[in-house]
Amino acid sequence: MTENSTSSQEQPDADVLSEDSSVALSMESIDLANEPCVTYSSMSEIRTPVKLFREIYHDFMAGRELAWRLFVRNLKGLYRQTMLGLFWAFLPPIANTAVWIFLKSQNVFQIGDTGVNSTVYILTGMILWQAFIDAFQSPGKLVNANKNMIAKLRFPRESLLLVAVGETLFNLAIRMVLLIPAFLWFGIALHASILLAPVAIFGLILLGLGMGILLMPIGSLYQDVGRFITLVLPFWMIITPIIYVPSTQYPDSLLNWVNPVAPLLIVSRDLLLNGSTEFAMLTIPYGIAAVVLLLFSLVFYRVSLPVLIERMMA
Amino acid sequence: MSNSSDIVLDVENVWKVYCRNLKRAMWYGVRDLGREMTGQGHDRTLTKLRPGEFFAIKEANFQVRQGECVALIGPNGAGKSTMLKMINGLVRPDAGRISIRGKVAALIELGTGFNPILSGRENIYVNAAVLGIKKNEVDRIIDKIIDFAELGHVINDPVKTYSSGMRVRLGFSVAANLRPHLLIMDEVLAVGDVGFRMKCFAHLRDLIKQGVSIIVVTHAVTMLRRVATRSIVFGNGKIVFDGDLPTGSTVYEEMMNVQSSASKKRDEKQVSSKAKLEDITVLNERGETQLEFETEETLRLQIRVSATERIQGARIIAAICSPVHGKVASMSSAYQELKIDLAPGQRTVTLEFPKLPLLIGAYHFNISLYGPQQTDFFQRKTIQGNFRIVGPPLLGDGKGLGGIVKLPHRWDLD
Repeated sequence: MTENSTSSQEQPDADVLSEDSSVALSMESIDLANEPCVTYSSMSEIRTPVKLFREIYHDFMAGRELAWRLFVRNLKGLYRQTMLGLFWAFLPPIANTAVWIFLKSQNVFQIGDTGVNSTVYILTGMILWQAFIDAFQSPGKLVNANKNMIAKLRFPRESLLLVAVGETLFNLAIRMVLLIPAFLWFGIALHASILLAPVAIFGLILLGLGMGILLMPIGSLYQDVGRFITLVLPFWMIITPIIYVPSTQYPDSLLNWVNPVAPLLIVSRDLLLNGSTEFAMLTIPYGIAAVVLLLFSLVFYRVSLPVLIERMMA
Repeated sequence: MSNSSDIVLDVENVWKVYCRNLKRAMWYGVRDLGREMTGQGHDRTLTKLRPGEFFAIKEANFQVRQGECVALIGPNGAGKSTMLKMINGLVRPDAGRISIRGKVAALIELGTGFNPILSGRENIYVNAAVLGIKKNEVDRIIDKIIDFAELGHVINDPVKTYSSGMRVRLGFSVAANLRPHLLIMDEVLAVGDVGFRMKCFAHLRDLIKQGVSIIVVTHAVTMLRRVATRSIVFGNGKIVFDGDLPTGSTVYEEMMNVQSSASKKRDEKQVSSKAKLEDITVLNERGETQLEFETEETLRLQIRVSATERIQGARIIAAICSPVHGKVASMSSAYQELKIDLAPGQRTVTLEFPKLPLLIGAYHFNISLYGPQQTDFFQRKTIQGNFRIVGPPLLGDGKGLGGIVKLPHRWDLD
């Protein structure tokens, strides 16, 4: 706007530069007639649910490549500036387990009859709990980290949720590797049920994801949500049967019903370690609930983003 | 949508509500989430605004056709960027409709998604994916992208070692491969060095030739002459002008004028009541009042002065000013040895500019009235006699005139 900038732009002749301006892909001239038409208005998208779900599906498909790129980008960026690299992915469950093993050895708490070696029992529980927490926290983290992109560009935003799934599964896979030496060392027998475990674990992750997506919009409006979660996470972990055997006796068993994580986590662990589970019946309604919750959260995610961009990210 | 088939964008009676109060915005956000989830989104112009809310966009109506390049201009906070966000589908209108035919791409912030730790080459793939360009397409054109950005020597170094100009170059070079029907840009060309900027303009002109429509938000109106043909001027959330760029930019300059005049009001002091500036009018050659002139037309400024006592040899100083560039020229009546003798009553002083050499823009006068002595100051009036030069257009092709004045000149070759 200043005189300087104006006059300096007049200098180079456009002709000189026009010859190398054709970086771009060549293309035939544009015909608009057959192009689809988009309309934005104040009407709520949820009034046309079929269209809404079709768009969600479309954006998931369109967002796959971007999700992969972002996943790879985050992964490469994550460990490039570290010395220990991927080792950091293993450390948290080992450290957590070590703490609890130590406390148990001091008889701080009673673990109960675990059926298998208690170290493996705790380690497995920790890995599963960590997977749930990863899934639960990643939607909020990813939206926050990519705030700028979300507020300024129209890209298939569902790709961020794919990244969330990808990162959770990747971390889980790495940690599961820890179980191999643990199984060998403590001589844990392998049961056929281990083949069913991924289904239960995936249910656990879907549950975490659904809950995380549902909290994300309120969490981006009010930072209180994030602070509250940090506060309750340790308690939540304690009431989840990770470092002790879940009670089957009323009224203690009620805790397994109230805590949404418990059934899927218990069943996942039983399938991995014990070969059978007393909680199978409990899982089915929770598994279905997780799927329904996830579908609902996908709608909420899509509907909430314009509201959030307008309020918080402008 | 209109039946006309070359309309890319149709904005119909669009309104947008905003709230600047943080606490309220948070709470309204929660309530709006609930409203959206229960399908109660509605035309907000039909209900009362909540406390703290205001209309950031009021009653916006315009269409953009294929191959048009439209500049959205206006002061800060006038609603340009909000309009772009709605067109891009990032936020939704609170009333009215926006219809878009074909693909939209946005150049809002170049290099979105760059990870500073990764190399330039790696980031090209990330950025391209964010913009929706497929990997095999990038594989094919990556060398062209690197060439266009002129970053071949550092492309494998982490992006955090790049200067901001280099990042912008990389970002633009990736984005240059987008082939939308409608391209929206927000201030992105204000960065980068001159040579690269020229390249970008040349590229945009190519796109327009191919039938791409462009909407660009900017404050650097002069730069836009290179590409834009039409302007939409926003003021306070309303479209105040929609038409050719030269007139649009003068309207914009006048708006800046009004804004600054509020702060300059205190200059308009009257020190003595002995003599006073009455009305100040801009006339054409034939003595008719006129607002819009062409370069090298004749302009007459008529100043009526009144006095309450005899004053021998009063002086008037007139300054022509541009809201963008400041004072262009000033002239005192004493310079041409005009002695203004005043007696109780009114007199009219005329200042004529034969063949006024000013180029396109908005201008105004600041007039001061002095007595015969250096210290005899009577009155000063600022921002008087507004007028616009609306033609002939300045061509941004490097083959015409630039700046604000057409100087008499001659080129020679030995």
